[in-house]
Amino acid sequence: MTATYLYAITHELTDSDIGDLRGVGGTAVRVLHGDRMSCLVSTVDLTEFGEDALRNNLEDLAWLERTAREHDDVVRAGAALTATVPLRLATICLDDESARQRLNEFGEAARHALAKIDGHDEWGVKLFADRAASDPDPAEPVVVSGTAYLRQRRASMLLRERSAGRMLRVAEEIFECLAVLATDARRHRPHDRRLTGDDRPMVLNAAFLVDRKRLATFRSAVDVLVGTDCDVSVDVTGPWPAYSFVPEPALQQDAET
Amino acid sequence: MTDLAARNEALGLADVLERVLDKGLVIAGDVRVNLLDIELLTIKIRLLVASVDKAREMGIDWWEHDPSLSAGDRDLDEENRALRRRVAELERASSRQEQR
Repeated sequence: MTATYLYAITHELTDSDIGDLRGVGGTAVRVLHGDRMSCLVSTVDLTEFGEDALRNNLEDLAWLERTAREHDDVVRAGAALTATVPLRLATICLDDESARQRLNEFGEAARHALAKIDGHDEWGVKLFADRAASDPDPAEPVVVSGTAYLRQRRASMLLRERSAGRMLRVAEEIFECLAVLATDARRHRPHDRRLTGDDRPMVLNAAFLVDRKRLATFRSAVDVLVGTDCDVSVDVTGPWPAYSFVPEPALQQDAET
Repeated sequence: MTDLAARNEALGLADVLERVLDKGLVIAGDVRVNLLDIELLTIKIRLLVASVDKAREMGIDWWEHDPSLSAGDRDLDEENRALRRRVAELERASSRQEQR
């Protein structure tokens, strides 16, 4: 049994536009035509992408990584050609007809989203509070007893949390400044420090929808803003397809009614 | 000019997973991936996301065996409840759609 895997909704495309593009599991990507828009799809096997199979596969980190990158590859290929609204991983319909139906249900919302992101890319900006600033006492604690060790850990943690508060305000200011230069901006949840293995707390994990014509301005603003505060360092990723700037479920409903 | 079409191998897995699992347009397909499972997975990934190599070595559920991470994680519980509410809303919305 096979099914139709959906990657992204795009402005109208043809099969020749995408050439020999490969999607999840190496499947051939095709263009499905909707009402004044297209959808990048491929045919997948339900033994791998059925409900039961997915439940197991999504917990398998190796499978998840491979599939996530393959999904992203197709979305990127679309975004390099034309305005592209990425769909969430593992959006699967039983056949092309059903996929087309779903697609057209989102017609107005999707076309609205396509118009908004046309000519734009998403850029990720992460800010980290540097260790020197976040940890005023980097000396290794002298371990006297288990209790003393825990007390020391707690004290240095509190100090770190306090200066992290200042860092959060700096991050907020930088976010607000960059948001002015972007068409849209989103704050994502910072990645968790307990598991980063990195002492530097992530104080901002943001995404910006940037007009390609304003990219140079945006990039230099990042450099200037981060450069003025020696306590933060920045990690910029992009260009990304506009993953963070698709309609929210609630807005999708509003657009339909 | 854009290097969008460049392969994403150089990008951190964390960044890729964050986007393809947690962002992107949600369309309910015919293959019903239990949204709750996916969302919970997303939380796990969020926690893991910066140390995926470590996670791979140890199995994706390793933090569940680490008492300092699992004990009294109220944020996670709260998020869990919020997600369940959201799932219920989405299910109501999608059953309304089906009735039309």
